[in-house]
Amino acid sequence: MNPDVLRAEGVCKSYGKKEVLHDLDLTIQPGKIYGLIGRNGAGKTTLLGILTAQNTLDSGAVTYGGQPVWENQAALDHICFSRELQPTLFTGPNNLKVKHYLKSAAIYYPNWDQEYADRLLAGFKLEPKKKICQLSKGQMSMVTILIALASRAPITILDEPAAGLDVVMRERFYQLLLEDYAQTNRTFIVSTHIIEEAASVFEQVIILDEGRILENSPTDELISQFHYISGREDIVDQVCRGLEVLSVQQMGRHKTAAVRGSGVKLEAALSADVDVSPMNLQNVFVALCGHGDAQ
Amino acid sequence: MRGTLNDQSLIYLQIAQMLEDDILRGIYREEEQVPSTNELARVYHINPATAAKGINLLVADGILYKKRGIGMFVASGAEQALRDKRKSAFYDEYIKPMVKEGASLSLSGEELLTMVRKAIEEGEEK
Repeated sequence: MNPDVLRAEGVCKSYGKKEVLHDLDLTIQPGKIYGLIGRNGAGKTTLLGILTAQNTLDSGAVTYGGQPVWENQAALDHICFSRELQPTLFTGPNNLKVKHYLKSAAIYYPNWDQEYADRLLAGFKLEPKKKICQLSKGQMSMVTILIALASRAPITILDEPAAGLDVVMRERFYQLLLEDYAQTNRTFIVSTHIIEEAASVFEQVIILDEGRILENSPTDELISQFHYISGREDIVDQVCRGLEVLSVQQMGRHKTAAVRGSGVKLEAALSADVDVSPMNLQNVFVALCGHGDAQ
Repeated sequence: MRGTLNDQSLIYLQIAQMLEDDILRGIYREEEQVPSTNELARVYHINPATAAKGINLLVADGILYKKRGIGMFVASGAEQALRDKRKSAFYDEYIKPMVKEGASLSLSGEELLTMVRKAIEEGEEK
């Protein structure tokens, strides 16, 4: 077995009576950029917390290179989970300064790259002396991105790094991520709600829905399985036989079906008098996780 | 190379297609180096593995080849090979959809052929 695999097996987690992760299995292979997508409350942050031993689990196991991660310094030295910063703490406003966060990250992560951190700090125009509670949401995201990148941890996890960033900064972030990845080939897991602009960055996409992993597949292989078929109702119904229909929309006699199936299964549709069009990752996500809420 | 990618087809196919177009246009000549996977990844904000997949498609077709430690190069004879490949795809990608569209408009075969002949004549006049 590869020594750097991060693996969750049979993970269950409840908050009170509500079970948020159900018997979940997940394998993270080294050297890939993973995208983690899921709806609000799907359990993304809980899962990331459990993968990095920052959150407890009720049953199941998380291992890195075959060793449990829980209270395992050797494993946790290789993993960085850069959490979203909060403007308030239990005690009141978050009066810690940016430089305090950076200093503790430098102590915590053995591969910390101070020169890289300084470069990013200047590039993001962040002031080390500012208090966290005085930062904008976007600036807080920049601090978490900075810590994640400069940690140089073999497994680096970013939770909603794009939240609050303007569109220019989001592009800059993905560029930094790809530059870093080209140099280090380390593993990244990035959760985001802004799916479409991140889709091309993710080699592998994990879809979490209601506490279950729906998909963990190469992004392009996943997308190529999904299509829209639209045309006259009866013909659409006819060619959709044998395909998994995820949702339908109807306007008079015109019908559009979102289907899963490719290759031979799609042949009937391709030769019939209907339009077959591809989906992007966002369409796939809505088709799989929409549960009819969008209509 | 286009400025941006679209989401109508898979990204690695678009990368392969763009490189092919640029070879046909003489932007990359035979025995010249093409951009590396990391350059493509940076310019188009895509995963390097995706860029590599596109490049490997052209390697499998004998359009590009790898010089160890240097990078990817356009093979000699690539331009002709690409033209041949595009010609054989022409039937599936252009002729068949045209006939299908003609059928849905209830055009007869003869009417379709007349139109094609007309288009060819107009093209020759220019």
